[in-house]
Amino acid sequence: MAEALSPRPPVLGPLRLGLVAALILVVLLVVSPLLGSVAIPAQDVLQIVLHQISGGTLFPQACAGTPTPERLCGAYTIIVWQLVIPEVFLALIVGAALGISGGALQGIFRNPLADPFLLGISSGGTIGAAVLYVYRIEVADADVFLPIFAFLGAITTGLVILGVARGRFSSVETLLLAGVALANLLSAILSLLLLYNPIGSIQVTFWLLGGLGLATWTVDGIAFGAIVVLATLLTLHGRELNLIQLGNDVAQSAGVDARRVRLRVILLASMATAIAVAFTGIIGFVGLVSPHIVRRLGGSDYRIVLPGAAVVGAVFLLAARDISFVAFPGSVLPIGIFTALAGVPFFLYLLYRQRQASTMGGM
Amino acid sequence: MSSASSAVSLHCDDLTVRYGERVALSGVTLSAHAGEFLALAGPNGSGKTTLLRAVLGFLTPERGRVELFGRPSEGLSARERAQKVAWVPQMESPRDNVRLYDYVLYGRFPYHGPLDADSGADRAIARRVLAEVGLADRSQDGILSLSGGERQRATLARALAQTTPLLLLDEPTSHLDIAHQLDLLGRVRTLSQERSVSVVAAIHDLNLAARFADRIVVLSHGRLVADGPPGEILSDDLLARVWGISADLRRDPRSGAPYLIPQHLLSMSAPVPRERAGGPVHVVGGGGAASPILRILTEEGFLVSAGVLPLLDSDAEAAEALALPVAIEVPFAPLSDEARARNRSLLTAAQAIVVAPFAVGPSNLANLEDVRPFVRTTPTYLVRQPPIHDRDFCGGAAIGAYTALLDAGATEVADATELLRVLHARLKPLGTAA
Repeated sequence: MAEALSPRPPVLGPLRLGLVAALILVVLLVVSPLLGSVAIPAQDVLQIVLHQISGGTLFPQACAGTPTPERLCGAYTIIVWQLVIPEVFLALIVGAALGISGGALQGIFRNPLADPFLLGISSGGTIGAAVLYVYRIEVADADVFLPIFAFLGAITTGLVILGVARGRFSSVETLLLAGVALANLLSAILSLLLLYNPIGSIQVTFWLLGGLGLATWTVDGIAFGAIVVLATLLTLHGRELNLIQLGNDVAQSAGVDARRVRLRVILLASMATAIAVAFTGIIGFVGLVSPHIVRRLGGSDYRIVLPGAAVVGAVFLLAARDISFVAFPGSVLPIGIFTALAGVPFFLYLLYRQRQASTMGGM
Repeated sequence: MSSASSAVSLHCDDLTVRYGERVALSGVTLSAHAGEFLALAGPNGSGKTTLLRAVLGFLTPERGRVELFGRPSEGLSARERAQKVAWVPQMESPRDNVRLYDYVLYGRFPYHGPLDADSGADRAIARRVLAEVGLADRSQDGILSLSGGERQRATLARALAQTTPLLLLDEPTSHLDIAHQLDLLGRVRTLSQERSVSVVAAIHDLNLAARFADRIVVLSHGRLVADGPPGEILSDDLLARVWGISADLRRDPRSGAPYLIPQHLLSMSAPVPRERAGGPVHVVGGGGAASPILRILTEEGFLVSAGVLPLLDSDAEAAEALALPVAIEVPFAPLSDEARARNRSLLTAAQAIVVAPFAVGPSNLANLEDVRPFVRTTPTYLVRQPPIHDRDFCGGAAIGAYTALLDAGATEVADATELLRVLHARLKPLGTAA
């Protein structure tokens, strides 16, 4: 009986998990450009990519030797190189941002259900975007200002949570409840905004569903730079998070400045989420699920969980994008719908496992 | 008091801590020295844990200060403090099934920068402390697969990995059985002597405190009321004043350490039945055989006494919890004349005698034999199940003594129900209790 109760060791361990993830990533990187809302022959895609990467030395005529007529090749090149490939990279970057942000929040709140979505950081981003759409603020370039508004909305929410966290007597539970309450408040505000301003509601709805449509090389560059910095800083808190799992007091007694670490991690995770939300809207469940997959497969050391959740999140989101194109060819299904479809069953499974553990006395 | 001359590791000066309205600690001044084992004793809510938390910097004192190795505590960063003082909480509940070895390495945190990996020295320390707490063979196992006693030793190992000259323990043994209590405190004691680590431990059990500590500091309502070697400070007066109990204070003939046998509650009133059913009824038992009888007789309103019970035995605990007069002996030792004399005086006072179905060995055979002279004058009931044949661990002598009681006129009863029936029939009610 004790045998059955004792928690399982990680299935793969960090090293093998890394190898498996890298392998899947390579496969996805090969497959993903072939998939998109416009069906482009695989050979053309391959040659266009090689043409672009080599700066024109390989396949000087991108579509040479394929049945594709010359006049289509130009359009294909734009679609593949300016739309599809940036979208593939944005999926990876945003997946990584959500994954590591979820991992960090689960760690700091010591709660397996914490994620940026639950705490209202994502909703804050939506409000920012909604304000722009609903009031049709005259801006020169919506593609530039939309992410800025969304980022501001998300980061403001993060700062509010941080404000609560600064409170001297705020326990982890208080914080988590405050976040959940905030998320509900924000969605109520959003509903109100949409109710009285139906014109902007279609765009906002699309935003709510999350999508990779804003991807450009510039967006990718900005997001990539920011996420690399944030992910590195978060990963450097791995040791602290390991100790915080034993309780704030224990962590404090072992030399962790628990309050300061809490503020820093929430700030960094909020920023990572804000960046994801800014470019893609709300994509749920990646942040929730990725850290769990890493813990189950690679162990619970946060020095592994954090970068691992980034990698798994990236793979997860790109895979979700690819599967949505395979399952519904030719359509542009918002990716947020797809992650939810995959994520909800997992979420329920998690709840079931927890309930089982608690009824078996394995708390 | 050789320790007084050695270096002061912890000094609290006029320490006062308040939780809102309630004063949790009031003007406490004390010092701990290198290599010294200091026990913090006192009833629940006396301020032991608060004192430890103030030393750890978890709470800010309203007045007074804490000095660690001559430096004011509040000026230290969490990391600096963690290099000076480590903490073993009452119970740690890890969530993740971290490998024990990695868990112990967490204790090396205060010596690491954000980019440092665990060094060879860190790993050597982890292996050493695991060996010191006796868990070297479990180092690759998950922390959640350890038993309660092992878990507490793992926590100790994590704290020891901080290699601090001061170690604080907060009721470290309260979830452990007696064997694991002795084991854990014994290890801490040895480590403090070998490494000259200064230990401050909140310990509930005064006997454990007296056995392991060089000094006991007694707190009561947030104030320091006694501070000194166990033999000097434990007194009837202190026990009555601080804990509200009366107890027999004795001295362990081997170690010279004082130990106490709680007798009565003085200040907290035990539940008193509305009507005294009669008595006193003296119950002879041990090893848990008497506890159900003691409880049921007390509930029924009989005046009850018990003897001779081994100290720390579950029968003795039941008797203590019910605040019964009791004769007690050190466990596994032959019954002393002193204990037997007390038992006989309780037997003399008894209106009825009950012999619980306890296991009889050479050390407590006298318990049966001492009843014999009273059988003629006092109604004596022997609980029949389990049969004496199964409980005789002294090669037939117990069967002999049991048969002698029957021959002298003792009555066998089947169980507690029958016992109650015959006692109610035999003993006159004593009227309403005062």
